[in-house]
Amino acid sequence: MTFTCTDLDEALRSEEPGAFEQARVHAQTCPACRESLAVWAEITAAAPGLRQSWESPDLWPRIHQSLAEESQRRAAQEGQWWRHWQMAAATAGLAAVIAIGLVLRGPAPSPAPAPGPESPGVLKGSEDPQRRLLTERALRAVETSEADYVASIEHLAKVAEPLLEKPGTPVLASYREKLQLLDAAIADCRTEIDRNRFNAHLRRELLSIYQEKQRTLRALLEERG
Amino acid sequence: MKSVARNLLGNASDAEDAVQEAFLKLYRGLAGFKGDAALSSWLYRILVNTCFDMGRRRKRRAENSPAAPEAEAPAFDPPAPGVDPTVGLTIRSSLDRLPPLPRSVFVLYEVEGFKHREIAEILGIAEGTSKHALFSAKKELQARILTSRRWRPES
Repeated sequence: MTFTCTDLDEALRSEEPGAFEQARVHAQTCPACRESLAVWAEITAAAPGLRQSWESPDLWPRIHQSLAEESQRRAAQEGQWWRHWQMAAATAGLAAVIAIGLVLRGPAPSPAPAPGPESPGVLKGSEDPQRRLLTERALRAVETSEADYVASIEHLAKVAEPLLEKPGTPVLASYREKLQLLDAAIADCRTEIDRNRFNAHLRRELLSIYQEKQRTLRALLEERG
Repeated sequence: MKSVARNLLGNASDAEDAVQEAFLKLYRGLAGFKGDAALSSWLYRILVNTCFDMGRRRKRRAENSPAAPEAEAPAFDPPAPGVDPTVGLTIRSSLDRLPPLPRSVFVLYEVEGFKHREIAEILGIAEGTSKHALFSAKKELQARILTSRRWRPES
């Protein structure tokens, strides 16, 4: 099939390398399509330059504050004494989950040198020299969120402690056993993390163990009524 | 997240407010989260919707107020070598004239580096719709760039 000017839009829409190649060959003999392809490539090359970053040191404290206020408002509305701790743990957990998610995704690709008309729309990411610094910062944010989350759960554990010291029923005894297993898993995971602070997989695993501990403590407190 | 919001709203202060509001909405809706998408995708979806809500509110305020809001000076990284700097300026000034879906897809794909699969999850659309919206956004920007070049005197 012969490629004509009317096929250009379909080639650009499909984003298929084969169609691009046909368009490129056609553009060698068609000035209008050549210009269209060149501008298409320029848009792709210029767009990453619109990615913006700026310091906003008060943003995260603002977010944290508004989440804490929301948590307190809910706790007051619901009037359940343990709800506050549950919400505080959920807030810190949410912050930790998101921070870890953003670290795992990593920064978006940096702008690459402009592709010529012969390779429209193709950009390859390059290593950002600030990436390491950003990763360090992100890691610090994760560790701070993690510490808040852990502190909330440990507070909840303190509340549940009297129930676990002398479990009066088989159900409470099994909760105690499960919590001991979870604590052992947390200790193992922490040892591994101490060997490699940047291992996001281990951090995710640790977070999921803490989430399980939180669920268990909540179930235990609900069991007590 | 701030960059996405700024490119959708056009200024840093509104962008930070949008990010804060998105976190609060995420927290409020956490109980309804079914885990059918990544939490980060859900957060981005809330952010994009928050940006468009804020944009609509701002437009209504502007229509009711006689004083035009002050436009923030465009700020972005220097273009890559060999890239015509006016292309970036044209894109920036044209973004808010694009319909919401093509604008969101363009910002997420071309500016922020998300893949169509991720964008589909974030915006709750099909991958094909994301590709079509990107094409539509770039076609509009291409037309504006070509028009501006035809009107630009030869140097």
